[in-house]
Amino acid sequence: MLFDQAVDIPEIFKSERVSVTLIEGKARYNLRVKAADVTAFKKSTGLKLPSKIGSSSLSKVVSCLKLGPDEWLVIANSTQQKKLDKVFEKASKDFICSITDISHRNIGFEVSGELAAKLINVGCPLDLSLTAFPVGKVTRTIFESAQIMLLRTGEDSFHVECWRSFAPYLRDYFKRVMTTRY
Amino acid sequence: MFEIHCPYCNEKRAEIEFSYAGEAHIVRPNAKQQPVMSDEDWSRYMFIRDNIRGEHAERWWHNAGCNMFFNAIRNTVTDKFVMTYKMGSPRRTAKQIDVARETNTADKAKT
Repeated sequence: MLFDQAVDIPEIFKSERVSVTLIEGKARYNLRVKAADVTAFKKSTGLKLPSKIGSSSLSKVVSCLKLGPDEWLVIANSTQQKKLDKVFEKASKDFICSITDISHRNIGFEVSGELAAKLINVGCPLDLSLTAFPVGKVTRTIFESAQIMLLRTGEDSFHVECWRSFAPYLRDYFKRVMTTRY
Repeated sequence: MFEIHCPYCNEKRAEIEFSYAGEAHIVRPNAKQQPVMSDEDWSRYMFIRDNIRGEHAERWWHNAGCNMFFNAIRNTVTDKFVMTYKMGSPRRTAKQIDVARETNTADKAKT
């Protein structure tokens, strides 16, 4: 069981111009791999690990996001979890690396609609114009006082990921903004 | 809100994503030196800092970003960042700092 249930998203979060939904059923892994091993690691695991910080390889099944010089976040459908567990178990024997299952640590929100960027900008100082933050760009950043991971999945949609314990705070913050502004 | 250039992300990011992490270029004594060091030497390594007024080499941590430490030259009087550079690269010379300062001013004049 995943812990997405820790945050129940009630009625709210659906206005004409922006909506927030919970992203359920995801497995997540944090990878730390040495630069020298990356090519071999990619071959061994079959993952498409992007090489530039802030870039990502998105797919419906497994997405790889590069957060730091040697750090990746892998987000996959939970149906892939058993398969990935096996792949990573083998990789952890072959490489000096760190692979952590953080499926239960994080909670994902999908923010979409024409006002999505504006809603995020209420608590986050990044420039979210399409030129500065194009589709597929990912970064860890701050939303008010909570650390989040922000990924642009489409022109008008974002994936916001935060620690489980921050999720009620984020949800209430979104709720407050949406009920007072939109 | 002012912005700091992160040498790893290679972009300017908001200051709230960063944490200050003390003076830079303080080398930890190696295993050979450690057993023969006096308490005074240790305390100098652990606690004694230059506390410079002016351009100061210091470490910063992009903890809500790429999670890397890097070095920066910051003026402790004006709080202006002159330059940032990757961890592990040598201390910047006065000349390099001068050049960086001039480029900053030139860039600012352009915009």
